[in-house]
Amino acid sequence: MRTDPRTGSNPAIRFEHHPAIRGEIYRLDERAYRESIIEEVIGRTLADFSKADPRMLLEETLYQERSRTRKARASWLTSPYLAARTGRDRKFLDEIRGRMKSCVGLEDHRELILRFSRHFASEICGNFEPRMYDLAIRMVPWMFSWLLNAASLQRILPFGMSESLQSRLRVVGEVEHLQRLSKKGTILLVPTHLSNIDSLLVGYVIHLMSLPPFAYGAGLNLFSNPLLGFSMSRLGAYTVDRQKSSILYKSALKNYSTSILKRGIHSIFFPAGGRVRSGAIESHLKLGLLGTALQAQLERYREAHPNPDIFVVPMVMNYPFVFEASSLIEDYLASSGKHRFMPNDGGEAVPFLNILRFFWKLFSTRSEMWVRVGRPLDVFGNFVDEEGRSIGPNGTCIDPRRFFTTRGEITAVPQRDREYTMQLGRRISERYHAENVVLSSHLVAYSLFSALRKQYPALDLYRFLTLSRAQRAIPEARFYEEAEACFRMVRDAAGQGRLFLSNALLCGDVRIWVEDGVRQLGLFHDAKVVKVEDGAFSTEDMSLLYYYRNRLTGYGFGSDFAGETDEQGFLV
Amino acid sequence: MSRDFWSESRLAVLGGGSFVTVLANLAARNCSEVTLYVRAEDQARAMNSTRMNPNYVKNLVLDSKIRAVSSYEKVFERPQDLVIFALPSQATREQAKLVAPLLGGSEIVLHATKGIEEHSLKRISQVLGEELPVLRIGAISGPNLAGEIANGEPAATVVASRFDEVVEAGERVLSTEQFRVYKTADLIGVEWGGTLKNIFAIASGMLESKGYGWNTKSLMLSRGLAEMVRFGVAMGAAPETFLGLSGMGDLIATCSSSQSRNFRVGYHLAKGEKLEEVLAELGQVAEGVRTTRIVHEFARSREVEMPITEVIYQIIEGKWSVEQGLAHLMTRPQVEDAWG
Repeated sequence: MRTDPRTGSNPAIRFEHHPAIRGEIYRLDERAYRESIIEEVIGRTLADFSKADPRMLLEETLYQERSRTRKARASWLTSPYLAARTGRDRKFLDEIRGRMKSCVGLEDHRELILRFSRHFASEICGNFEPRMYDLAIRMVPWMFSWLLNAASLQRILPFGMSESLQSRLRVVGEVEHLQRLSKKGTILLVPTHLSNIDSLLVGYVIHLMSLPPFAYGAGLNLFSNPLLGFSMSRLGAYTVDRQKSSILYKSALKNYSTSILKRGIHSIFFPAGGRVRSGAIESHLKLGLLGTALQAQLERYREAHPNPDIFVVPMVMNYPFVFEASSLIEDYLASSGKHRFMPNDGGEAVPFLNILRFFWKLFSTRSEMWVRVGRPLDVFGNFVDEEGRSIGPNGTCIDPRRFFTTRGEITAVPQRDREYTMQLGRRISERYHAENVVLSSHLVAYSLFSALRKQYPALDLYRFLTLSRAQRAIPEARFYEEAEACFRMVRDAAGQGRLFLSNALLCGDVRIWVEDGVRQLGLFHDAKVVKVEDGAFSTEDMSLLYYYRNRLTGYGFGSDFAGETDEQGFLV
Repeated sequence: MSRDFWSESRLAVLGGGSFVTVLANLAARNCSEVTLYVRAEDQARAMNSTRMNPNYVKNLVLDSKIRAVSSYEKVFERPQDLVIFALPSQATREQAKLVAPLLGGSEIVLHATKGIEEHSLKRISQVLGEELPVLRIGAISGPNLAGEIANGEPAATVVASRFDEVVEAGERVLSTEQFRVYKTADLIGVEWGGTLKNIFAIASGMLESKGYGWNTKSLMLSRGLAEMVRFGVAMGAAPETFLGLSGMGDLIATCSSSQSRNFRVGYHLAKGEKLEEVLAELGQVAEGVRTTRIVHEFARSREVEMPITEVIYQIIEGKWSVEQGLAHLMTRPQVEDAWG
């Protein structure tokens, strides 16, 4: 069995801390620099639509934007930020509409498209204030340790021992490798996305690894919290408004990402596009933003930068419990089951109290968050060695420039590059599965779900989830039998390098990890995800059980259709 | 601009079989230099001096731009723009490992192998993708009996790749006034089409051997195509691909030609000869036998209905006679026509 040699009792000293170097992102503080990015984004966006009919494009964009603002329901009381924003958008749109009436020729339409692009680009563009950053990196750990130690009072600690967030945060994997590469090129960090906690955690983990700050595309809902919004917009975060569906906006967003990556600003984005509703590891990634890495890489090669490489670093985050689990899985079931209601994608504001509650629960018990930094890749999905060289399938170094060479020159070929992006997407998803750290809670949920399903093999997912309380119980002996079988399955998979096991699972004693898993699952949710009573294992919430169990899908355990749903609707 | 690039390009063809020798000859008209890799040194020397491929297509005079060599190092002495693999399916991975260090990454790779890797069930393009530091990969497949193309009879092939530029390269380099190149992005369908038809070539040989007429053969071909579609779709192919040259087209050509190795295997098996004897007598690789075993096993595990394949499998394994197989097929419960 494999153990990570770096996983000691104090995880904070597992990797060296260096004084973080100031990255290119510090230049975002300069107004002229930001302006030049905005101009570049506008230029690229206009070029994207150079062949489109300007009038049609304008009408379409205006129509989509107006129907969006009409539907927007942000109230001044609950989310003044969003309301103010929508108000500004409405004013802008009214003005454009007025101007449109007096448009004579295509040139006038082009002029308005330019204004639209500028409107979008300035809205997206992030800022970075070094003083704010310095403040944040002092404040956040302090806040966390205050919360942690307050919460820890519930347990009895030996005199003089206090805890920090780092002790509850296991950052494992290719940390040194990432640290080295951040000095040799531009990093694009692509984490998995389960929870709104992720955005906060990623920022902190980056700081913990003594990396310079990263630019990050943050959803509007994060900005709607005044404190978060204020600080994030000053920490290199750029704004992503998922409600804006016009192609002009999407193009501007992609172009912003390309522009900052091309300038060598380390970036983060969640390639799933949003939190994973099902709880599984992402199998399908949004390729739009991912494609910007390829584009930026191509341009850096063509412009012969001294450190041209862009490194794509997958990162997998796991929590013993996810505070939004209930609403996420409900969304997932509603959309996959195609009944009840359509999910409302990401519009809700972040319930700040829930975040506090999450950390409180996490700190007041012995729970750990796991962050695994995956092996870095180049933009084609090849592994990259310590020196930043791409490693080909045959184990020798290869020059990724050659993949951009068509008919003898390094050049952009849209169809080819889309295909490359798809391959990169598949590769990242593959790496996510391989870098996943299975927690005892996942395996307990998986085992119970699997044992239950064997009792009712004929039911489809939606019938299965409505089993009555009495039907959901599994005798203890039968549960342990299933748990052992599931454990052997993941242990073998870990042996083949297909996933990792958390420390609780590495001990291998079924009683111990089951107890641990049951406890972790019971910490946060009101309903008991796994309940042990009168010699039987059962669940009070089938959907949540399904959610936590889904973390182990996508591996082809017991099915050929990994990552898909089977005929009965179960994710496999 | 692009036309110039391909007319000045260098092409490497790996494998000295009859079809690729003909392909190399076609390509020689469209690019500046063709290097043909053959395993045996004396064969390479003979080809360079006699301008013929003594083992396979005897009536073909090799174009002056073709140079035969017998080591990969010599092939890749100078960078190549297009590389065509045409090796037996089971040799592809091992040979690709040898070629991998010699490639730069900007090459376009096509293969003309009709078969799949045993056990792993990987298509040849997947095998090449795993072994070569190259991303732009495609396949050539279609009703391409080498002798007829060598005679200059009108014919066509399909070049399949997810990358438009691979397809374009195939078209630029291979097409002539007597040889058309069709394109598709459904690489899976094309590779499986070329592989699966070998099973039915065996069946066709059996029917011929028994003296059956066109009704029976058409029955086998149509129902065989339905099996190809069902299996292909299970592997992720688009059903319509099988209506094209690499599916239907190749099926007809292979099953009608008594020259095909698989056809001859079926022909002799139906005469009651043992498989080992037949294969020994042929002295060439018959991909169909291997394919039948692999496909049969997989179809059974995935519950893809392939009754003809099942029968061919039983006959190859010596468990059934052709008569028993036919009786089994003719008395099956009635089903819908077409893909039913």
